[in-house]
Amino acid sequence: MMQIVNILLVEDDKLDQTEVERTLDRRNILCRLRVARNGEEALDVLRETERTLNFPDIALIDLNMPKMNGFELIEAIRKEPQWSRIKIFVLTTSDEKADKIEAEKFGVSGFITKPLKLNSPSSKDAFNLMMDLMNNR
Amino acid sequence: MKISSIILISFFSILFLFSVTTYINYRQYQQVSENAERFDRSSTIVRHSNRFQRNFLNMVSGLKGYLLTNDGSLIQMFDSAYVENKQILAELNELVPPQSDQKIILDDVRELEKYWMEEFAQPMLEAKKNAGPSREDREEFLELYQKKIVNGLDKDVQRSLQSKFSDFSNYEYGFRASSQETLAASVQNTRKISIYLTAFAVILGSAIAIFIAQYISSRIVRMVRLANAIAHGDYAVSLPDKGKNELSQLAGALNEMAAILRSSIPLLKRQKEELDQFAHIISHDLKAPLRGIDNVIAWIEEDHSFALPPKVNEYLELIKGRITRAENLLKAILSYARAGREDRKLEVVDLRVMLEEIRGDISNHKNIIYHIQPGMPTLYTERIPLQQVFTNLIVNAFKYHNKDEGMVKVYYQPEENYYTFFVEDDGPGINEAYHDRIFIIFQTLQERDVLESVGIGLAIVKKILDERGQTIRVSSEPGKGTVFSFTWPKTKPV
Repeated sequence: MMQIVNILLVEDDKLDQTEVERTLDRRNILCRLRVARNGEEALDVLRETERTLNFPDIALIDLNMPKMNGFELIEAIRKEPQWSRIKIFVLTTSDEKADKIEAEKFGVSGFITKPLKLNSPSSKDAFNLMMDLMNNR
Repeated sequence: MKISSIILISFFSILFLFSVTTYINYRQYQQVSENAERFDRSSTIVRHSNRFQRNFLNMVSGLKGYLLTNDGSLIQMFDSAYVENKQILAELNELVPPQSDQKIILDDVRELEKYWMEEFAQPMLEAKKNAGPSREDREEFLELYQKKIVNGLDKDVQRSLQSKFSDFSNYEYGFRASSQETLAASVQNTRKISIYLTAFAVILGSAIAIFIAQYISSRIVRMVRLANAIAHGDYAVSLPDKGKNELSQLAGALNEMAAILRSSIPLLKRQKEELDQFAHIISHDLKAPLRGIDNVIAWIEEDHSFALPPKVNEYLELIKGRITRAENLLKAILSYARAGREDRKLEVVDLRVMLEEIRGDISNHKNIIYHIQPGMPTLYTERIPLQQVFTNLIVNAFKYHNKDEGMVKVYYQPEENYYTFFVEDDGPGINEAYHDRIFIIFQTLQERDVLESVGIGLAIVKKILDERGQTIRVSSEPGKGTVFSFTWPKTKPV
């Protein structure tokens, strides 16, 4: 029996949101996608779904956002022990090494390079994880 | 005070001292030669006066002898002495300066001789001529002779003449002795003055020469040090110099130059940094929105192309083409900004291997022969920039080759401190009007969409070579191919 994967996308850019949505669709990921446009909205979603089955399994977080940026969001998430099971992937525009090093301190699961490509190596880990969750492994 | 004035004044003062010395010596010479002349004249005067005295004695004895013996040869002696004395007197008159003591004496002598002639000689000769052979006449003549010659004043006249001549000679001798003395003194004096003046001029000249040499050379050395410091990139130097001469002006100009460099070099460096950063930022940040547009077009094509009128699909193709060109331009700007900015690491580079690798990366459908001169050197140098230079030139040679068969040749020529490398092709060639333009960024001589050319290759080559103080030259004629030649430092040959 296939499982629905709960994914939280934190991205302020509509174009990038669409790109992630389309890619998930193309990869045939069976998912419930919640979109937050900044860190605060993301925290709201997390609190709201905290005790439901819809709590995100995976969060895809853009670093560069208004109000509360990606780093602050990741830091806030990692402060809450009950949220520790969320796997976090960082969306980056390029290979900015400083950002990666900073993000790794918070225990992120990987980096996905934008623009998101269907078969880009950087997104491989994230999609494999999604497939595993879908197949209930 | 200006250095040129110091030099001129010193030179003229030395010149003046030597002129004075020369003038004094000339005056001395004149005096000596004048003296010699007068000495000469004085000798002549003395000689003449002596001869006059002798002649006069001859006249007296000739006359007496004739009167007593009637011997004709004796009267001849008298006559010739008399004639000669006339001449001597005339000459002496010339030699003795007018209105001098000597002249007065000479006039007295002349008077005395005249008196003697008139009073004694002539009457006696007259009497002798008139005296007949008679005893009476003889008695009368002898009586006259007795009266005139023996008892008369004849002896006094002679004595007086003698004493006059003695005065005359003594005067000359005295004059000679005194002028000899003054001359000797003045020669001594002149010698002394000459030595002093010459010594003074030599000392003054040497002192000035040493001063100028020290003064100029010490300051020039300081300026050379300053210029060297500037040449080595130390602009925070200056040379305090408050003088008003030419060297101070030069020092001032150097200081000003250092100050200008000091203020403008960091500015230039900062501007260059900013420009590179700017190129990096625009190429990097513009890429994202371009990609976004590209993505949206892809989505439209994927999901909606069947629903769109054919014109819109055609327009989407145009947009995609422009996006590709914009991306190429951005890539070019980025690679231009990055060109030659790699770590300047030196490594061993076997040029033959490098050149073959470059050829391996070029796809070539035409039949173009690639020739590398045997024995290309192995260098210890920066690999990446050199490779970029060669790659751009060789790729261009292949890319723009317009014939079905041809050749691309790489060869070199060693110079003392650098190599000149040549990349030659027999392709289309470049019109001379474009020879400067080809090295400017984004100048391509072909249509932009042809051959994916944005005109960055030669600009990168030029940038890399400029930053290393190397030169590139192109020699080409349309239809006859192109030769690019560039220099590269030898560093340490391996």
